[in-house]
Amino acid sequence: MSAKQGKHKYGMVINLDKCTGCGTCTVACAAENNLSVIKDETDKQRTISWMQLFKVTNGKPFPDTEVSYFPRPCMHCHYHTPCVSVCPPTATEIDYNTGIVSQIYTRCIGCRYCQAACPYQARYFNWWDGHFPKGTERYLSPEVSVRMRGVVEKCSFCHHRLMRAKTQAYAEGRRELKDGEYITACTEACPAGAIAFGDLNDPNSEVAGLSKHPHAFRLLERLGTEPKVYYISSKDWVRRMADNYRPDEFQPL
Amino acid sequence: MDSALFPEGVKRCSPKVFLLWTLPWLALLAWGGLSAFLCLWKGLNQTNMSNIFAFALWIVFDLAVIALGAGAFFTGFLTYVIGRKELKSIINAAVIIGFICYSGAVAMLGIDIGQPIRGWFIFWHANVHSMLTEVSFCITCYLAVLAIEYIPIVLENRQVQKVRELRLFGHNLHHVMGVFAATGTFLSFFHQGSLGGMFGVMYARPFAERWDFYVWPTTFFLFVFSAIAAGPCFTILCSKLAEAVSRKKLVPDNAVQFLAKVSGWLLSGYIVLKILDTLVWADTTVPSAGLELMDFYREGPYGIWMLIAEIGIFGIIPAILLMVPKARQNPGLLIIACLMNCTGIVLNRFVFVIATLAIPVMPFARFWSYLPTWQEWGIAMAMLGYGFLLFSASYRYLPVFPREKELNPAVYGA
Amino acid sequence: MEITRRNFIQLLAGGAAGIHITPVPWKMMDDIAIWTQNWPWVPVPERGRFDHERSVCSLCPGGCGIEVRKVADRAVKIEGREDFPVNNGGICPLGAGGLQLLYDETIRFTSPMKRVGPRGEGRFLPVSWSEAVGTLAERIQALRKDNRPEALAAVDGSRPGTASEGLVKRLLQAVGSPNCYSMPSIQNTYQTANLLMQGNAGPMAYDIENADFVLSFGCALIEGWGAPARVIGAWGRWREDSKAKGPKVVQVESRASNTASKSDAWIAARPGTEAALALGMAHVMISENLVDRSFLFNYTHGYEDWIDEEERPRKGFKTMVLESYSPDKVAGITGVAADRIIALAREFGKAGAPLALYGKGKGNLNGSLLECMAVQALNALKGGVNTPGGAVVQQGLPLAPWPDVETDPVARQGLYGGRLGTAGDSRLPFAESSIENMVEAVMQGGGASPVDTLLVFGANPVFTLPDGGAFRKALTRIPLIVSFSPYRDETAAMADLILPDHTALEKREEIVWPTGLQYPFLGLSKPVVRPVYDTRHMGDTVIAVAKKVGGPVADAFPWRRFEDALKARLKGLAEARGLTSWDGSKPVWKTFAEGRPVSPDYDSFDDLWKKLDSGGFWYEPTHDFHDLSTCFGTPSGKFEFACGRLEQAVKEAARGGDAKTLLHRMGIEARGDDAYMPHYETVLSADAGGDTLVLVPYEMFNHSTDWLPNPPFLTKTIFDNQLRRDESFAEVNPETAAGHHLKEGDRILIQSDAGEVKVRVHLFEGAMPGHIYLPLGFGHTAYGVYQKDKGVNAAKLVAGKKDPLTGRTVWWATSVRVKKT
Ligand SMILES: Nc1nc2c(c(=O)[nH]1)N[C@H]1C(S)=C(S)[C@@H](COP(=O)(O)OP(=O)(O)OC[C@H]3O[C@@H](n4cnc5c(=O)[nH]c(N)nc54)[C@H](O)[C@@H]3O)O[C@H]1N2
Ligand SMILES: Nc1nc2c(c(=O)[nH]1)N[C@H]1C(S)=C(S)[C@@H](COP(=O)(O)OP(=O)(O)OC[C@H]3O[C@@H](n4cnc5c(=O)[nH]c(N)nc54)[C@H](O)[C@@H]3O)O[C@H]1N2
Ligand code: SF4
Ligand code: SF4
Ligand code: SF4
Ligand code: SF4
Ligand code: SF4
Ligand SMILES: [Mo]
Repeated sequence: MSAKQGKHKYGMVINLDKCTGCGTCTVACAAENNLSVIKDETDKQRTISWMQLFKVTNGKPFPDTEVSYFPRPCMHCHYHTPCVSVCPPTATEIDYNTGIVSQIYTRCIGCRYCQAACPYQARYFNWWDGHFPKGTERYLSPEVSVRMRGVVEKCSFCHHRLMRAKTQAYAEGRRELKDGEYITACTEACPAGAIAFGDLNDPNSEVAGLSKHPHAFRLLERLGTEPKVYYISSKDWVRRMADNYRPDEFQPL
Repeated sequence: MDSALFPEGVKRCSPKVFLLWTLPWLALLAWGGLSAFLCLWKGLNQTNMSNIFAFALWIVFDLAVIALGAGAFFTGFLTYVIGRKELKSIINAAVIIGFICYSGAVAMLGIDIGQPIRGWFIFWHANVHSMLTEVSFCITCYLAVLAIEYIPIVLENRQVQKVRELRLFGHNLHHVMGVFAATGTFLSFFHQGSLGGMFGVMYARPFAERWDFYVWPTTFFLFVFSAIAAGPCFTILCSKLAEAVSRKKLVPDNAVQFLAKVSGWLLSGYIVLKILDTLVWADTTVPSAGLELMDFYREGPYGIWMLIAEIGIFGIIPAILLMVPKARQNPGLLIIACLMNCTGIVLNRFVFVIATLAIPVMPFARFWSYLPTWQEWGIAMAMLGYGFLLFSASYRYLPVFPREKELNPAVYGA
Repeated sequence: MEITRRNFIQLLAGGAAGIHITPVPWKMMDDIAIWTQNWPWVPVPERGRFDHERSVCSLCPGGCGIEVRKVADRAVKIEGREDFPVNNGGICPLGAGGLQLLYDETIRFTSPMKRVGPRGEGRFLPVSWSEAVGTLAERIQALRKDNRPEALAAVDGSRPGTASEGLVKRLLQAVGSPNCYSMPSIQNTYQTANLLMQGNAGPMAYDIENADFVLSFGCALIEGWGAPARVIGAWGRWREDSKAKGPKVVQVESRASNTASKSDAWIAARPGTEAALALGMAHVMISENLVDRSFLFNYTHGYEDWIDEEERPRKGFKTMVLESYSPDKVAGITGVAADRIIALAREFGKAGAPLALYGKGKGNLNGSLLECMAVQALNALKGGVNTPGGAVVQQGLPLAPWPDVETDPVARQGLYGGRLGTAGDSRLPFAESSIENMVEAVMQGGGASPVDTLLVFGANPVFTLPDGGAFRKALTRIPLIVSFSPYRDETAAMADLILPDHTALEKREEIVWPTGLQYPFLGLSKPVVRPVYDTRHMGDTVIAVAKKVGGPVADAFPWRRFEDALKARLKGLAEARGLTSWDGSKPVWKTFAEGRPVSPDYDSFDDLWKKLDSGGFWYEPTHDFHDLSTCFGTPSGKFEFACGRLEQAVKEAARGGDAKTLLHRMGIEARGDDAYMPHYETVLSADAGGDTLVLVPYEMFNHSTDWLPNPPFLTKTIFDNQLRRDESFAEVNPETAAGHHLKEGDRILIQSDAGEVKVRVHLFEGAMPGHIYLPLGFGHTAYGVYQKDKGVNAAKLVAGKKDPLTGRTVWWATSVRVKKT
């Protein structure tokens, strides 16, 4: 299995031992990226949440029950990116120089084939026109365009922050970014410091190191999508939740 | 009143009765019209589709009618390319059914996408790697071919024939119909295939994913195969329905029997391949994704019955019934076999669309259920209404069944 | 040329072909492409200059530093500040979603208003500020003229110790009413416990970061307790790669919450029995000599048996614990196996710097005083009081006092005799401002309400009080209700007059000592945007009202506006030795543990003010750990297991009569010396068990559960087994559910003595059998479409016992019946 390798390969490592399930990442992402709010946000089939929290339990009876969380952004699948290959009007693309899987809202025709193809449920369709209660259009950020009804959207690894960081670096006469200069909104907001973000191609970056942690793993790794989002958990039962295993296949650490 | 428009020398019901007959279908169309208006005006929130069920009832319907409509290209292929003359008595009907199925499917797709007025971006910014791009190109082209095949039938209308240019045009078209039939066959082969490919390439959805044969996943070929196995049966069913409603014999038995026989053999071939494909899939794709076959059949109503019904009940049984001459010559059994064959293919398309999406891939993702809204049913039912209307009108005003008169001596005299 | 059919068709065909070699169709395609992307109703965010304003979040007592990104003077994003010692970059969901509370016009009052529809309906018409202030001032004048200034009452949700709280109290005092009620929170519990055991009502200050064993009794450590970003930040550090870095964390809680799950161990004690668990641990520690004998001998009172001034032998804590709290007995009370209690006690006893934390959820509601004391007793047994890694004895911030209020005779008379509810009844000596008392007094008798005018500040008691709706009923009897809320909340909907305050990002506000922080800290927020609507700082409004009332009331406010009053207090900080910046190189908790004095980084008040204004915080990263002989302000001058102040208060209240009856009325069933020591009192209703379940409402970190409306972004984080399609879900253990024939998703009716709600069932193995868990914060009947009618308000079911001594509602022990619907 080989995927095209470009200069940079941005990726994320989420430490589930640290993650408290607080949801700050979800909210910070929504605020950063002008997410709309539907009237019934409990309609989890139709809400939009680029960073979605999944709650899991170890299934043991009281009082040995434990819960944990998977905060799930787009995995920015690096190999044979499932959503990119299926999109008819090329509205979603992977840039191998950054590894970022982009989404062009103004080109998306809303066929939702990408949603069908993505096994991570990371893609969200705008079932309604974005609704911004009176006055709240004032908090919209000009860095991210507001989506129209009928198009699909998803986590962009806060692509505009890459641009922001680059502009800053260029202004300072640099061509390259330092580790930590480009981080996503969720990384920045997490009160537990559970999310690390950076260039997986840079051997000295924090994420490159963390992604090689013995407890590191990815979601549905065996499907071969080569996600660029890694997780860390010291708990076997959590790691087992990340992929499908036939009986006796899972190797506890 | 409108008898001047009827084909030469045939009897049709009174306009009043005809109007009465169209009423239910018009009602379905009105229901669909209202639904379409709501979906286009207010958006797809009018449906129960969701981020989980990104494809739903409409795509099932699309896939089903396109498969059933395959009777058109396949009968055309047999008639014009292979040269089975007896099929000339049913080819018009097959073409019209195909046209109905394809135009209806395209209309439904137009409502199904979130940004219909951007639909043409598929052509403008085509991603050649996308199976849906291939589907769109082929379906659009093939719809054009079907239209071209339909035109000569329209031109055969008694009044139209009076215009010399049109008569000549229609006549010339008839001569080149073989070319169009061949083109249609080619296009159909690819879009039936790429419709299957759409699912087989979703390699991160182990339930749908299939191994590649040449550059296409096996579903590509299975969809082509199943469509040509079921399409003729659907054409037979439609003709039989027309016969029942008009209380006339419209298609000679030899044509029907030939189509049924071909269907039977194709279906049996398809079922063998489908079983092989399923076994290979269950033995390679499924375990490599960390799953066991039965893992797919645990959620909600989507149990192993789907596989048993699709392959066993609605596959093997109709294949046998259609292959055995004694069985298919029995009018009742023939209808049952055709119905079962068509049911099997619809079930197959349903499973690929709905079950694929309903079965979560992430172990911690939950299962959701889906029930269409009245708006979704409205659009789907409009498809039915539209089909009945167009077919009835064609029957009334066009020589759809060229041998109607000779087959009904009791009505028209020897 | 004659137009024949033929040439018409030719023309059409030719035209159609010809037009394609012109740019027209291609241009049209392009135009359509653009047009299809630019729906006029999709907002286009205005571009402009980017600014970054540093401030402090005042949405909770967490004290997070925030940086607000602005574009063209619009606030577009709230982010955490890395140059801020409390949160060091992190924030919480509420803070991150804060802009939805600023800009959503549908949930805010846009100007002063007066009610036009019936109470509760929420229909108002704008009035001018002068009319609004005038109306209230005249009413107050009239009350004073009638010699009943005490008929003015206030419910104040302002955080204890802030200038806002001070101004409200001052207004009431100057007018002459003792009836100023603060909203219950864990702060009351902490302060009372500290008063009784340590002799000062200072804040609870836990040096968590320096502890090596953290035993939390119910604190939602990673779900909003204390200063949330501080605790979660520490948590994240502890879970850094090697676990050896952090302390072992043990959570005592009845439900597999996030904190319980993510802790190193989870002890599932029945809710309300935690005090017994602490005392059971004490039993083991004492009998196995795992206590700090030197601390106990030198700096505590009432540990050993003792002789009082009247030469009577008195029982000590040790004897009481050994007699009454054996692990076996405690196991029976708490449901925690005896060997677990023993093991836990040993671990705690053998740890170098163990710390027992007391809390209840996020701390927005009151706790239980005796339980808090029992937990603090554990710290004392290990000498973990006023030590690094322990519970630090703090006196509060060195703020300068305002000049005393000069009251006139009318005011003095009101202040002396006008207290509601407790007149002639002193059963609750430590519950001076219990709202429950006010509600009772208002509802008593058939006559006019003793409260004529009620002011509500920064609180939404109609929704948040766990009182079964009693407060709302009381409101219907109060003639004039004045709300200072910026939001269209349930209480404001009952008000007659609205004098809207600014919201967090529009105002100056102090964050006085983030809950639980070990070192003195003051945050100062500033307006990061100009007020979006015609609102006024509640401090300014209070001053304006006082000025308008005139006379001695006006004289009590020698300030032009709120900021002057604020500055007068902050002058005290200029005298103290604190810092106003933090370079991030060394965490404050490390500096703090070293205990070295620092030299202030400001040289005058003006300098301090400038730095506070730009940096937003002041702190003292140091502490004198060596003053154990002087730091306790108790009657004995020591840490008191036997609380002299409590005994004294009970005796005074009994006025020589029978202390036993009085104690009973205070909710204390323990007899003799036990009554004045941390001990266990049962709070469960007698009929708990059998067919009934115990209702335990719980707070969520990712949903606003106090008076603030919930920013809709937060609802994205709510799971659909908590709230779905406007229906709340109750968590029930599968075993319990089977016993009641309940399945996942079943609709049930939960009935308590206070009311009933319809919810759906969620089966959760982590729910304690026999209990039913409902999230708080849902079920609003006010605010906008995103908040209204979503689920049910669990607080309205609460009908439990009162907490002994404090009289506050016990909100985690209501017995309920469930019925399938
Ligand atoms: N139908 C339709 N089509 C459109 C538009 C539309 O409105 N409608 N919008 C158009 C517009 S405005 C745009 S910008 C495009 C967006 O389409 P693209 O141009 O594909 O833009 P992005 O996908 O956002 O990705 C730009 C990529 O450049 C990469 N990149 C960043 N810096 C560098 C660098 O220094 N070197 C290299 N090699 N790569 C870098 C980033 O990682 C990023 O992935 O779509 C255009 N297409
Ligand atoms: N998440 C995410 N964010 C992105 C990107 C991304 O890929 N992902 N891409 C970035 C890129 S490359 C771009 S170019 C931007 C595009 O972001 P925007 O500039 O927001 O582009 P559009 O979404 O095309 O919207 C343009 C808007 O301009 C308005 N408009 C059209 N004509 C006129 C006019 O004549 N006058 C005025 N005043 N308004 C007009 C229309 O209402 C339309 O909504 O988004 C950036 N933001
Ligand atoms: S913000 Fe951090 S701790 Fe909170 S849910 Fe997200 S990853 Fe977990
Ligand atoms: S996670 Fe889904 S949306 Fe993201 S790159 Fe992979 S397939 Fe595409
Ligand atoms: S919905 Fe949009 S992004 Fe997804 S496949 Fe269709 S056009 Fe592409
Ligand atoms: S990387 Fe950016 S877009 Fe993606 S989840 Fe995090 S905040 Fe959202
Ligand atoms: S924890 Fe409190 S202070 Fe910090 S961001 Fe959240 S609401 Fe604001
Ligand atoms: Mo762009």
